[in-house]
Amino acid sequence: MDGDSSTTDASQLGITGEYMAGSHFVLAQAPEDEGDEGLDDHEDGNGSKDNLREQDIYLPIANVARIMKNAIPQTGKIAKDAKECVQECVSEFISFITSEASERCHQEKRKTINGEDILFAMSTLGFDMYVEPLKLYLQKFREAMKGEKGINTVTVTEGMGEELTDETFTNPLPAGIITADGQQQNVMVYTTSYQQIPGVQQLQFS
Amino acid sequence: MSAKNMEKVEQATNRKNISLPMSRVRLIMKSSPDVSCINQDALFLTTKATELFVQHLALSSYKNGSGKETNTLSYSDLANAAEESETFQFLTDILPKKILAREYLKSLEEMEKDADNL
Repeated sequence: MDGDSSTTDASQLGITGEYMAGSHFVLAQAPEDEGDEGLDDHEDGNGSKDNLREQDIYLPIANVARIMKNAIPQTGKIAKDAKECVQECVSEFISFITSEASERCHQEKRKTINGEDILFAMSTLGFDMYVEPLKLYLQKFREAMKGEKGINTVTVTEGMGEELTDETFTNPLPAGIITADGQQQNVMVYTTSYQQIPGVQQLQFS
Repeated sequence: MSAKNMEKVEQATNRKNISLPMSRVRLIMKSSPDVSCINQDALFLTTKATELFVQHLALSSYKNGSGKETNTLSYSDLANAAEESETFQFLTDILPKKILAREYLKSLEEMEKDADNL
């Protein structure tokens, strides 16, 4: 039964075959069916990578579904086949961006795809609205990576005046603080090392 | 450290702010032909961009969708978005519009009839 996952054989897909695509013979599952689970379970058992073709590698559906759910209004729902479909679209998107970036790399005789290549590819392919936000996210990511490496562990206790909430990192930062040219203005005071001093209840950070 | 503090430290170190597995993204990237090395920034940017893409696609399709009593995002909403939006055009091959089998068979029959009538 293995081999061709894009089978059009209804009996292999185990469906009562209600739907077909116009010219492509894509048999999809009728809504009331349990559906074929095969496609999205590649979480573990990646042992035989050679058997996985490009179109078989997907991101975990739970993660994808969660992002979708958070994007649409709270009262909205998502059909199961829509989730699976976005899962496939995602792999397609990644390949789309990657091959464009890779091509540029080759043209410039480089072997490693870097951040610039990715951003450039996005611009070229019509996703330039992502570029600016992505630069900001990259800054935050770099800060986070730096913070993890050398400096003593940040011990966040109830005694600290300022809590490290998620909000600190999801809200867009004021334009003045982050510079796109790579200079890091460390305004986040609380990432410097801090030793827990017993008996100190409240500490204020300006 | 108390359990609560452990949790806070974990939150603090989890500030990379992504919800998709980068290792899996790397796998997909490497399955593209001629891709040798991907640096850390590129991997992060791709992963984050993918999140933005999912949000973008989901929300566009939903808003553009049937909009009637059903507040459910369906496959056809996605297929429509792919067709109508320039940004999502690259998805049209993997998002073919679906028709009911019986409608297709009917149109097949009609095509055959036309062929016979020639």
